[in-house]
Amino acid sequence: MEERQQRKQYAFVVKQLTSREIKRKYARSYLGIVWSVLNPLLSMAVLSLIFSQLFRRSIENYPIYYLTGYILWQAFTGATNAAMTTLVDNKTLLLKVKFPMELFILTRIYTALINMGYSLAAYGVMLILFRVAPKWTMLLSPAFLVLLFLFATGVSYLLAAAYVFFGDVKHLYSVILTLWMYCSAIFYPAEQLQGFIRIIILNNPIYTYIHCLRKAVMYGQVPGGVEWAQMILWGVGMYYIGYWIFKKNKYKIMQRI
Amino acid sequence: MNAMENWTKERGEGPNQNRKGTDIAVKNVTMQFRRAKDEATSIKELLVRTLRREHSYEEFKALDNISFTVHQGEVAGIIGTNGSGKSTMLKIISGALIPTSGTVEVDRRKVQLLTLGTGFDVELTGRENVYLNGAIIGYTREYIDEKYSDIVKFAELEGFMEEKVRNYSSGMVSRLGFAIATVRDTPEILILDEVLSVGDMFFRQKSEARIREMIHGGSTVLIVSHSTSVIRNNCTKAIWIEKGRLRAQGDPRDVCDAYEKLKEVPK
Repeated sequence: MEERQQRKQYAFVVKQLTSREIKRKYARSYLGIVWSVLNPLLSMAVLSLIFSQLFRRSIENYPIYYLTGYILWQAFTGATNAAMTTLVDNKTLLLKVKFPMELFILTRIYTALINMGYSLAAYGVMLILFRVAPKWTMLLSPAFLVLLFLFATGVSYLLAAAYVFFGDVKHLYSVILTLWMYCSAIFYPAEQLQGFIRIIILNNPIYTYIHCLRKAVMYGQVPGGVEWAQMILWGVGMYYIGYWIFKKNKYKIMQRI
Repeated sequence: MNAMENWTKERGEGPNQNRKGTDIAVKNVTMQFRRAKDEATSIKELLVRTLRREHSYEEFKALDNISFTVHQGEVAGIIGTNGSGKSTMLKIISGALIPTSGTVEVDRRKVQLLTLGTGFDVELTGRENVYLNGAIIGYTREYIDEKYSDIVKFAELEGFMEEKVRNYSSGMVSRLGFAIATVRDTPEILILDEVLSVGDMFFRQKSEARIREMIHGGSTVLIVSHSTSVIRNNCTKAIWIEKGRLRAQGDPRDVCDAYEKLKEVPK
Protein backbone atom coordinates (compact mmCIF):
# COMPACT_ATOMS: atom_id res chain seq x y z
CA MET A 1 0.00 0.00 0.00
CA GLU A 2 2.70 2.40 1.00
CA GLU A 3 4.66 1.50 -2.08
CA ARG A 4 1.70 2.32 -4.27
CA GLN A 5 1.41 5.67 -2.64
CA GLN A 6 5.10 6.24 -3.22
CA ARG A 7 4.69 5.43 -6.88
CA LYS A 8 1.78 7.76 -7.16
CA GLN A 9 3.81 10.53 -5.59
CA TYR A 10 6.68 9.85 -7.99
CA ALA A 11 4.31 9.99 -10.93
CA PHE A 12 3.03 13.31 -9.63
CA VAL A 13 6.58 14.64 -9.37
CA VAL A 14 7.42 13.52 -12.90
CA LYS A 15 4.27 15.15 -14.21
CA GLN A 16 5.01 18.43 -12.48
CA LEU A 17 8.60 18.46 -13.63
CA THR A 18 7.55 17.62 -17.16
CA SER A 19 5.00 20.35 -17.32
CA ARG A 20 7.71 22.68 -16.14
CA GLU A 21 10.03 21.53 -18.91
CA ILE A 22 7.44 22.06 -21.58
CA LYS A 23 6.26 25.43 -20.31
CA ARG A 24 9.80 26.57 -19.97
CA LYS A 25 10.82 25.45 -23.42
CA TYR A 26 8.17 27.60 -25.01
CA ALA A 27 8.11 30.33 -22.38
CA ARG A 28 9.16 33.14 -24.68
CA SER A 29 7.54 32.09 -27.92
CA TYR A 30 4.13 33.12 -29.17
CA LEU A 31 3.22 29.86 -30.77
CA GLY A 32 4.39 27.76 -27.86
CA ILE A 33 3.71 24.07 -28.12
CA VAL A 34 2.49 24.53 -31.69
CA TRP A 35 6.16 24.45 -32.62
CA SER A 36 6.19 20.76 -31.83
CA VAL A 37 3.70 20.40 -34.66
CA LEU A 38 5.19 22.95 -37.00
CA ASN A 39 8.76 21.84 -36.72
CA PRO A 40 8.42 18.44 -38.37
CA LEU A 41 6.13 19.92 -41.04
CA LEU A 42 8.53 22.69 -41.98
CA SER A 43 11.44 20.31 -42.00
CA MET A 44 9.45 17.97 -44.20
CA ALA A 45 8.66 20.78 -46.60
CA VAL A 46 12.31 21.77 -46.89
CA LEU A 47 13.64 18.30 -47.42
CA SER A 48 10.90 17.38 -49.85
CA LEU A 49 11.66 20.47 -51.87
CA ILE A 50 15.21 19.35 -52.32
CA PHE A 51 15.17 15.59 -52.40
CA SER A 52 11.80 14.68 -53.88
CA GLN A 53 13.21 15.01 -57.36
CA LEU A 54 16.36 13.13 -56.54
CA PHE A 55 14.67 10.06 -55.14
CA ARG A 56 11.57 10.19 -57.28
CA ARG A 57 12.10 6.75 -58.75
CA SER A 58 13.15 4.89 -55.63
CA ILE A 59 10.74 6.34 -53.07
CA GLU A 60 7.09 6.90 -53.62
CA ASN A 61 5.52 9.49 -51.40
CA TYR A 62 8.80 10.98 -50.33
CA PRO A 63 7.38 13.50 -47.82
CA ILE A 64 5.82 10.74 -45.75
CA TYR A 65 8.92 8.59 -46.05
CA TYR A 66 10.99 11.42 -44.71
CA LEU A 67 8.53 12.52 -42.05
CA THR A 68 8.31 9.03 -40.58
CA GLY A 69 12.04 8.87 -40.13
CA TYR A 70 12.35 12.43 -38.97
CA ILE A 71 9.80 12.16 -36.19
CA LEU A 72 11.36 9.06 -34.71
CA TRP A 73 14.82 10.51 -35.02
CA GLN A 74 13.76 13.73 -33.32
CA ALA A 75 12.13 11.78 -30.52
CA PHE A 76 15.31 9.82 -29.96
CA THR A 77 17.72 12.75 -30.06
CA GLY A 78 15.34 14.96 -28.11
CA ALA A 79 15.07 12.42 -25.33
CA THR A 80 18.74 11.51 -25.11
CA ASN A 81 20.13 15.01 -25.47
CA ALA A 82 17.85 16.36 -22.79
CA ALA A 83 18.33 13.44 -20.42
CA MET A 84 22.10 13.62 -20.75
CA THR A 85 22.37 16.95 -18.99
CA THR A 86 19.48 16.57 -16.60
CA LEU A 87 21.47 15.56 -13.54
CA VAL A 88 23.83 18.47 -13.91
CA ASP A 89 21.03 20.90 -14.69
CA ASN A 90 19.14 19.90 -11.60
CA LYS A 91 22.16 19.67 -9.35
CA THR A 92 20.86 21.84 -6.54
CA LEU A 93 17.55 20.06 -6.47
CA LEU A 94 19.14 16.66 -6.46
CA LEU A 95 21.00 17.23 -3.26
CA LYS A 96 17.99 18.40 -1.38
CA VAL A 97 15.20 16.09 -2.31
CA LYS A 98 14.46 12.62 -1.20
CA PHE A 99 13.29 10.97 -4.38
CA PRO A 100 15.53 8.92 -6.65
CA MET A 101 17.68 10.55 -9.32
CA GLU A 102 16.12 8.37 -11.98
CA LEU A 103 13.04 10.52 -11.88
CA PHE A 104 14.91 13.39 -13.44
CA ILE A 105 15.92 11.23 -16.36
CA LEU A 106 12.43 9.84 -16.74
CA THR A 107 11.09 13.38 -16.71
CA ARG A 108 13.13 14.32 -19.74
CA ILE A 109 12.12 11.14 -21.52
CA TYR A 110 8.50 11.79 -20.76
CA THR A 111 8.87 15.32 -22.06
CA ALA A 112 10.23 13.97 -25.32
CA LEU A 113 7.34 11.53 -25.46
CA ILE A 114 4.81 14.31 -25.15
CA ASN A 115 6.58 16.37 -27.77
CA MET A 116 6.45 13.37 -30.04
CA GLY A 117 2.73 13.13 -29.39
CA TYR A 118 2.28 16.58 -30.88
CA SER A 119 4.48 15.71 -33.83
CA LEU A 120 2.40 12.60 -34.39
CA ALA A 121 -0.69 14.76 -34.64
CA ALA A 122 0.98 16.57 -37.53
CA TYR A 123 1.96 13.21 -38.94
CA GLY A 124 -1.64 12.03 -38.86
CA VAL A 125 -2.80 15.07 -40.78
CA MET A 126 -0.10 14.54 -43.38
CA LEU A 127 -1.07 10.90 -43.80
CA ILE A 128 -4.57 12.02 -44.69
CA LEU A 129 -3.39 14.84 -46.96
CA PHE A 130 -1.09 12.53 -48.86
CA ARG A 131 -3.84 9.94 -49.13
CA VAL A 132 -2.10 7.15 -47.34
CA ALA A 133 -4.79 4.55 -46.98
CA PRO A 134 -5.45 3.29 -43.45
CA LYS A 135 -4.12 -0.20 -42.84
CA TRP A 136 -4.45 -2.54 -39.91
CA THR A 137 -0.66 -2.73 -39.62
CA MET A 138 -0.68 0.86 -38.43
CA LEU A 139 -1.98 -0.49 -35.16
CA LEU A 140 1.46 -1.97 -34.55
CA SER A 141 3.08 1.47 -34.43
CA PRO A 142 2.70 2.00 -30.67
CA ALA A 143 4.75 -1.15 -30.09
CA PHE A 144 7.59 0.26 -32.19
CA LEU A 145 7.44 3.53 -30.37
CA VAL A 146 7.50 1.92 -26.95
CA LEU A 147 10.54 -0.12 -27.91
CA LEU A 148 12.25 2.94 -29.35
CA PHE A 149 11.68 4.77 -26.10
CA LEU A 150 13.02 1.88 -24.06
CA PHE A 151 16.13 2.06 -26.19
CA ALA A 152 16.34 5.82 -25.74
CA THR A 153 15.93 5.47 -21.98
CA GLY A 154 18.81 3.02 -21.78
CA VAL A 155 21.05 5.30 -23.80
CA SER A 156 19.95 8.23 -21.64
CA TYR A 157 20.99 6.49 -18.44
CA LEU A 158 24.44 5.92 -19.87
CA LEU A 159 24.82 9.44 -21.15
CA ALA A 160 23.51 11.07 -18.00
CA ALA A 161 25.94 9.11 -15.86
CA ALA A 162 28.86 9.83 -18.16
CA TYR A 163 28.05 13.51 -18.44
CA VAL A 164 28.35 13.99 -14.70
CA PHE A 165 31.99 13.01 -14.96
CA PHE A 166 32.93 14.41 -18.34
CA GLY A 167 31.51 17.50 -19.92
CA ASP A 168 33.05 16.40 -23.21
CA VAL A 169 30.42 13.74 -23.59
CA LYS A 170 28.04 16.38 -24.84
CA HIS A 171 30.28 17.42 -27.71
CA LEU A 172 31.29 13.91 -28.53
CA TYR A 173 27.68 12.79 -28.57
CA SER A 174 26.66 15.54 -30.97
CA VAL A 175 29.28 14.30 -33.43
CA ILE A 176 28.17 10.72 -32.96
CA LEU A 177 24.59 11.78 -33.53
CA THR A 178 25.48 13.35 -36.85
CA LEU A 179 27.14 10.17 -37.99
CA TRP A 180 24.28 8.16 -36.61
CA MET A 181 21.74 10.25 -38.45
CA TYR A 182 23.43 9.68 -41.78
CA CYS A 183 23.49 5.97 -41.04
CA SER A 184 19.77 5.87 -40.31
CA ALA A 185 18.50 6.44 -43.84
CA ILE A 186 16.18 9.20 -42.78
CA PHE A 187 16.08 11.12 -46.03
CA TYR A 188 17.46 8.67 -48.56
CA PRO A 189 16.57 5.12 -49.53
CA ALA A 190 18.71 2.56 -47.72
CA GLU A 191 18.59 0.28 -50.73
CA GLN A 192 20.89 2.53 -52.67
CA LEU A 193 23.84 1.79 -50.46
CA GLN A 194 25.92 -1.32 -50.78
CA GLY A 195 28.61 -3.18 -48.93
CA PHE A 196 29.98 -2.25 -45.56
CA ILE A 197 27.88 0.83 -44.96
CA ARG A 198 24.73 -1.08 -45.76
CA ILE A 199 25.54 -3.67 -43.13
CA ILE A 200 25.95 -0.90 -40.62
CA ILE A 201 22.62 0.59 -41.53
CA LEU A 202 20.82 -2.69 -41.30
CA ASN A 203 22.22 -3.25 -37.84
CA ASN A 204 21.45 0.23 -36.68
CA PRO A 205 18.65 -0.01 -34.13
CA ILE A 206 17.23 3.40 -34.99
CA TYR A 207 17.03 2.42 -38.62
CA THR A 208 15.21 -0.75 -37.71
CA TYR A 209 12.55 1.18 -35.79
CA ILE A 210 12.15 3.67 -38.60
CA HIS A 211 12.09 0.98 -41.24
CA CYS A 212 9.44 -1.06 -39.48
CA LEU A 213 7.26 1.96 -38.93
CA ARG A 214 7.53 2.90 -42.59
CA LYS A 215 6.64 -0.58 -43.67
CA ALA A 216 3.64 -0.71 -41.37
CA VAL A 217 2.33 2.74 -42.20
CA MET A 218 3.18 3.09 -45.86
CA TYR A 219 3.11 -0.42 -47.27
CA GLY A 220 0.98 -2.37 -44.83
CA GLN A 221 3.72 -4.86 -44.04
CA VAL A 222 4.37 -6.61 -40.75
CA PRO A 223 8.00 -6.68 -39.62
CA GLY A 224 9.75 -10.02 -40.06
CA GLY A 225 10.96 -12.21 -37.24
CA VAL A 226 14.51 -10.89 -37.39
CA GLU A 227 13.27 -7.34 -37.26
CA TRP A 228 11.09 -8.03 -34.25
CA ALA A 229 14.03 -9.69 -32.54
CA GLN A 230 16.27 -6.75 -33.32
CA MET A 231 13.78 -4.21 -32.04
CA ILE A 232 13.03 -6.06 -28.85
CA LEU A 233 16.63 -6.96 -28.09
CA TRP A 234 17.89 -3.45 -28.65
CA GLY A 235 15.05 -1.86 -26.74
CA VAL A 236 14.90 -4.11 -23.71
CA GLY A 237 18.61 -4.91 -23.72
CA MET A 238 19.71 -1.31 -23.87
CA TYR A 239 17.28 -0.34 -21.19
CA TYR A 240 18.63 -2.89 -18.76
CA ILE A 241 22.26 -2.25 -19.57
CA GLY A 242 21.79 1.47 -19.12
CA TYR A 243 19.84 1.09 -15.94
CA TRP A 244 22.28 -1.40 -14.49
CA ILE A 245 25.32 0.76 -15.15
CA PHE A 246 23.55 3.80 -13.83
CA LYS A 247 22.54 2.00 -10.69
CA LYS A 248 26.05 0.74 -10.11
CA ASN A 249 27.51 4.20 -10.34
CA LYS A 250 24.76 6.00 -8.52
CA TYR A 251 26.79 6.54 -5.41
CA LYS A 252 29.74 7.92 -7.34
CA ILE A 253 27.47 10.22 -9.27
CA MET A 254 25.99 11.55 -6.08
CA GLN A 255 29.41 12.26 -4.68
CA ARG A 256 30.59 13.91 -7.81
CA ILE A 257 27.65 16.21 -8.04
CA MET B 1 16.41 37.54 16.01
CA ASN B 2 14.79 38.97 19.11
CA ALA B 3 11.57 37.21 18.64
CA MET B 4 13.29 33.88 18.98
CA GLU B 5 15.16 34.60 22.11
CA ASN B 6 12.83 32.74 24.32
CA TRP B 7 12.63 29.48 22.49
CA THR B 8 14.76 27.64 24.92
CA LYS B 9 12.98 28.86 28.00
CA GLU B 10 9.60 28.18 26.56
CA ARG B 11 10.65 24.76 25.49
CA GLY B 12 11.85 23.90 28.95
CA GLU B 13 8.30 24.03 30.19
CA GLY B 14 6.92 22.10 27.29
CA PRO B 15 5.54 18.61 27.66
CA ASN B 16 8.12 17.12 25.35
CA GLN B 17 10.93 17.40 27.77
CA ASN B 18 10.00 14.05 29.19
CA ARG B 19 10.40 12.18 25.98
CA LYS B 20 13.90 10.91 25.92
CA GLY B 21 14.07 8.70 22.90
CA THR B 22 16.88 9.23 20.47
CA ASP B 23 15.83 10.70 17.17
CA ILE B 24 19.09 11.20 15.39
CA ALA B 25 22.13 9.12 16.21
CA VAL B 26 25.25 9.90 14.25
CA LYS B 27 27.96 7.36 14.87
CA ASN B 28 31.55 7.73 13.75
CA VAL B 29 30.63 9.29 10.49
CA THR B 30 33.46 9.95 8.11
CA MET B 31 32.93 11.43 4.71
CA GLN B 32 35.82 11.14 2.40
CA PHE B 33 35.95 12.63 -1.01
CA ARG B 34 38.58 11.30 -3.28
CA ARG B 35 39.71 14.26 -5.16
CA ALA B 36 42.24 13.69 -7.86
CA LYS B 37 44.85 16.39 -7.75
CA ASP B 38 43.72 18.60 -10.54
CA GLU B 39 41.11 16.20 -11.66
CA ALA B 40 40.68 15.02 -15.22
CA THR B 41 37.64 16.78 -16.57
CA SER B 42 37.84 15.49 -20.09
CA ILE B 43 38.04 12.06 -21.56
CA LYS B 44 41.24 12.89 -23.36
CA GLU B 45 42.90 13.90 -20.14
CA LEU B 46 41.66 10.78 -18.44
CA LEU B 47 43.04 8.60 -21.20
CA VAL B 48 46.38 10.30 -21.20
CA ARG B 49 46.67 10.00 -17.46
CA THR B 50 45.55 6.43 -17.31
CA LEU B 51 48.12 5.50 -19.90
CA ARG B 52 50.85 7.28 -17.99
CA ARG B 53 49.55 5.97 -14.68
CA GLU B 54 49.50 9.47 -13.41
CA HIS B 55 46.62 9.23 -11.04
CA SER B 56 47.40 11.03 -7.89
CA TYR B 57 44.56 11.22 -5.50
CA GLU B 58 44.15 13.43 -2.58
CA GLU B 59 42.02 12.10 0.18
CA PHE B 60 39.90 14.88 1.46
CA LYS B 61 37.95 14.36 4.62
CA ALA B 62 34.91 16.55 4.73
CA LEU B 63 33.89 14.90 7.97
CA ASP B 64 36.20 13.01 10.24
CA ASN B 65 34.78 10.55 12.72
CA ILE B 66 31.85 12.58 13.93
CA SER B 67 29.46 11.25 16.53
CA PHE B 68 26.58 12.90 18.27
CA THR B 69 23.01 12.23 19.19
CA VAL B 70 19.95 14.38 19.24
CA HIS B 71 17.18 13.30 21.53
CA GLN B 72 13.52 13.63 20.92
CA GLY B 73 12.30 17.14 21.58
CA GLU B 74 15.73 18.68 21.64
CA VAL B 75 16.71 21.70 19.62
CA ALA B 76 20.22 21.09 18.48
CA GLY B 77 22.33 23.64 16.70
CA ILE B 78 25.24 22.85 14.45
CA ILE B 79 27.72 25.66 14.28
CA GLY B 80 30.89 26.10 12.30
CA THR B 81 32.52 28.38 9.77
CA ASN B 82 31.84 28.16 6.07
CA GLY B 83 33.19 25.00 4.52
CA SER B 84 33.52 23.26 7.84
CA GLY B 85 31.32 20.38 6.79
CA LYS B 86 27.97 21.50 8.16
CA SER B 87 26.03 21.08 4.98
CA THR B 88 27.72 17.78 4.22
CA MET B 89 26.47 16.62 7.60
CA LEU B 90 22.97 17.74 6.72
CA LYS B 91 23.03 15.95 3.42
CA ILE B 92 24.08 12.78 5.18
CA ILE B 93 21.36 13.09 7.79
CA SER B 94 18.70 13.78 5.20
CA GLY B 95 19.92 10.84 3.15
CA ALA B 96 21.18 12.62 0.06
CA LEU B 97 24.74 11.43 0.68
CA ILE B 98 25.95 8.14 2.02
CA PRO B 99 28.90 8.43 4.40
CA THR B 100 32.17 6.69 3.61
CA SER B 101 32.04 5.00 6.99
CA GLY B 102 29.93 5.21 10.06
CA THR B 103 26.18 5.20 10.39
CA VAL B 104 23.34 7.59 10.90
CA GLU B 105 20.27 6.29 12.61
CA VAL B 106 17.28 8.36 11.79
CA ASP B 107 13.82 7.69 10.48
CA ARG B 108 14.07 9.41 7.14
CA ARG B 109 10.34 9.42 6.59
CA LYS B 110 10.00 11.82 9.47
CA VAL B 111 12.69 14.21 8.36
CA GLN B 112 11.75 17.46 6.78
CA LEU B 113 14.57 19.56 5.49
CA LEU B 114 13.63 23.18 5.25
CA THR B 115 15.60 25.11 2.74
CA LEU B 116 14.31 27.87 0.59
CA GLY B 117 13.86 28.28 -3.09
CA THR B 118 14.59 24.74 -4.14
CA GLY B 119 12.94 24.05 -7.42
CA PHE B 120 11.49 27.40 -8.20
CA ASP B 121 11.24 28.19 -11.84
CA VAL B 122 11.02 31.84 -12.83
CA GLU B 123 9.27 31.06 -16.09
CA LEU B 124 6.29 29.54 -14.32
CA THR B 125 3.50 31.34 -12.51
CA GLY B 126 3.23 31.43 -8.76
CA ARG B 127 0.48 28.85 -8.82
CA GLU B 128 2.45 26.45 -10.97
CA ASN B 129 5.42 26.85 -8.70
CA VAL B 130 3.38 25.94 -5.68
CA TYR B 131 2.49 22.64 -7.30
CA LEU B 132 5.99 22.00 -8.61
CA ASN B 133 7.68 22.84 -5.36
CA GLY B 134 5.09 21.00 -3.33
CA ALA B 135 5.53 17.88 -5.43
CA ILE B 136 9.27 18.04 -4.99
CA ILE B 137 9.14 18.25 -1.24
CA GLY B 138 6.69 15.40 -1.08
CA TYR B 139 3.14 16.74 -1.01
CA THR B 140 0.46 14.95 -2.94
CA ARG B 141 -1.74 16.76 -5.42
CA GLU B 142 -4.76 16.50 -3.13
CA TYR B 143 -2.83 17.93 -0.25
CA ILE B 144 -1.71 20.94 -2.26
CA ASP B 145 -5.23 21.50 -3.56
CA GLU B 146 -6.43 21.55 -0.01
CA LYS B 147 -3.75 23.83 1.37
CA TYR B 148 -3.38 26.11 -1.61
CA SER B 149 -5.30 29.05 -0.21
CA ASP B 150 -3.49 28.79 3.12
CA ILE B 151 -0.16 28.99 1.34
CA VAL B 152 -1.15 32.02 -0.67
CA LYS B 153 -2.53 33.73 2.37
CA PHE B 154 0.52 33.09 4.50
CA ALA B 155 2.81 34.32 1.76
CA GLU B 156 0.61 37.41 1.34
CA LEU B 157 0.58 36.95 -2.39
CA GLU B 158 -3.12 37.17 -3.13
CA GLY B 159 -3.55 38.49 -6.63
CA PHE B 160 -0.04 37.64 -7.73
CA MET B 161 -0.37 33.90 -8.15
CA GLU B 162 -1.12 33.93 -11.88
CA GLU B 163 1.94 36.01 -12.60
CA LYS B 164 5.26 34.59 -13.54
CA VAL B 165 7.72 34.34 -10.72
CA ARG B 166 10.13 36.20 -12.98
CA ASN B 167 8.20 39.34 -12.04
CA TYR B 168 8.32 38.71 -8.29
CA SER B 169 10.67 40.49 -5.98
CA SER B 170 13.17 38.32 -4.17
CA GLY B 171 11.25 38.84 -0.95
CA MET B 172 8.08 37.54 -2.55
CA VAL B 173 9.88 34.45 -3.77
CA SER B 174 11.26 33.57 -0.40
CA ARG B 175 7.93 34.23 1.27
CA LEU B 176 6.28 31.81 -1.08
CA GLY B 177 9.03 29.27 -0.49
CA PHE B 178 8.66 29.57 3.24
CA ALA B 179 4.89 29.28 3.06
CA ILE B 180 5.04 26.11 0.97
CA ALA B 181 7.64 24.48 3.15
CA THR B 182 5.90 25.17 6.43
CA VAL B 183 2.27 24.61 5.52
CA ARG B 184 2.46 20.96 6.40
CA ASP B 185 1.65 19.63 9.80
CA THR B 186 4.63 19.66 12.04
CA PRO B 187 7.11 17.04 10.98
CA GLU B 188 8.71 15.00 13.69
CA ILE B 189 12.23 15.95 12.76
CA LEU B 190 12.77 19.39 11.35
CA ILE B 191 16.05 20.50 9.87
CA LEU B 192 16.48 24.20 9.29
CA ASP B 193 19.24 25.24 6.98
CA GLU B 194 19.71 28.95 7.62
CA VAL B 195 16.14 29.87 6.90
CA LEU B 196 15.43 32.32 9.62
CA SER B 197 16.12 35.51 7.75
CA VAL B 198 13.44 35.72 5.13
CA GLY B 199 11.55 38.72 3.86
CA ASP B 200 11.03 42.03 5.60
CA MET B 201 10.88 42.59 9.32
CA PHE B 202 7.17 41.83 9.58
CA PHE B 203 7.33 38.67 7.63
CA ARG B 204 10.34 37.59 9.62
CA GLN B 205 8.42 37.86 12.84
CA LYS B 206 5.60 35.91 11.30
CA SER B 207 7.90 33.19 10.06
CA GLU B 208 9.71 32.93 13.35
CA ALA B 209 6.38 32.54 15.06
CA ARG B 210 5.50 29.76 12.65
CA ILE B 211 8.78 27.97 13.31
CA ARG B 212 8.27 28.30 17.02
CA GLU B 213 4.83 26.83 16.60
CA MET B 214 6.37 23.87 14.84
CA ILE B 215 8.88 23.42 17.61
CA HIS B 216 6.11 23.55 20.15
CA GLY B 217 4.36 20.88 18.21
CA GLY B 218 6.98 18.55 19.61
CA SER B 219 9.45 18.32 16.79
CA THR B 220 13.05 17.51 17.20
CA VAL B 221 14.88 20.36 15.56
CA LEU B 222 18.27 20.63 14.03
CA ILE B 223 19.36 24.16 13.20
CA VAL B 224 22.38 24.87 11.08
CA SER B 225 23.89 28.28 11.34
CA HIS B 226 27.13 30.15 11.53
CA SER B 227 25.67 32.75 13.79
CA THR B 228 26.26 32.14 17.48
CA SER B 229 23.33 34.29 18.52
CA VAL B 230 20.90 32.05 16.70
CA ILE B 231 22.35 28.99 18.37
CA ARG B 232 22.63 30.55 21.79
CA ASN B 233 19.11 31.83 21.80
CA ASN B 234 17.33 28.83 20.47
CA CYS B 235 19.10 25.61 21.13
CA THR B 236 19.24 23.26 24.02
CA LYS B 237 22.37 21.74 22.67
CA ALA B 238 25.15 22.87 20.39
CA ILE B 239 27.50 20.93 18.19
CA TRP B 240 30.56 22.60 16.80
CA ILE B 241 32.12 21.19 13.69
CA GLU B 242 35.31 22.72 12.43
CA LYS B 243 37.22 21.54 9.36
CA GLY B 244 35.38 18.27 9.47
CA ARG B 245 36.16 17.54 13.08
CA LEU B 246 33.89 17.65 16.05
CA ARG B 247 35.37 20.34 18.22
CA ALA B 248 32.87 20.48 21.02
CA GLN B 249 29.33 19.66 21.92
CA GLY B 250 27.12 20.30 24.86
CA ASP B 251 25.68 23.37 26.47
CA PRO B 252 25.12 26.03 23.81
CA ARG B 253 26.64 28.80 25.90
CA ASP B 254 29.90 26.98 26.55
CA VAL B 255 30.23 25.82 22.99
CA CYS B 256 29.48 29.24 21.55
CA ASP B 257 31.92 30.90 23.92
CA ALA B 258 34.65 28.54 22.84
CA TYR B 259 33.74 29.10 19.22
CA GLU B 260 33.83 32.84 19.56
CA LYS B 261 37.12 32.76 21.40
CA LEU B 262 38.71 30.92 18.52
CA LYS B 263 37.10 33.09 15.92
CA GLU B 264 37.88 36.35 17.59
CA VAL B 265 39.41 38.63 15.06
CA PRO B 266 41.92 41.12 16.37
CA LYS B 267 40.29 44.49 16.12
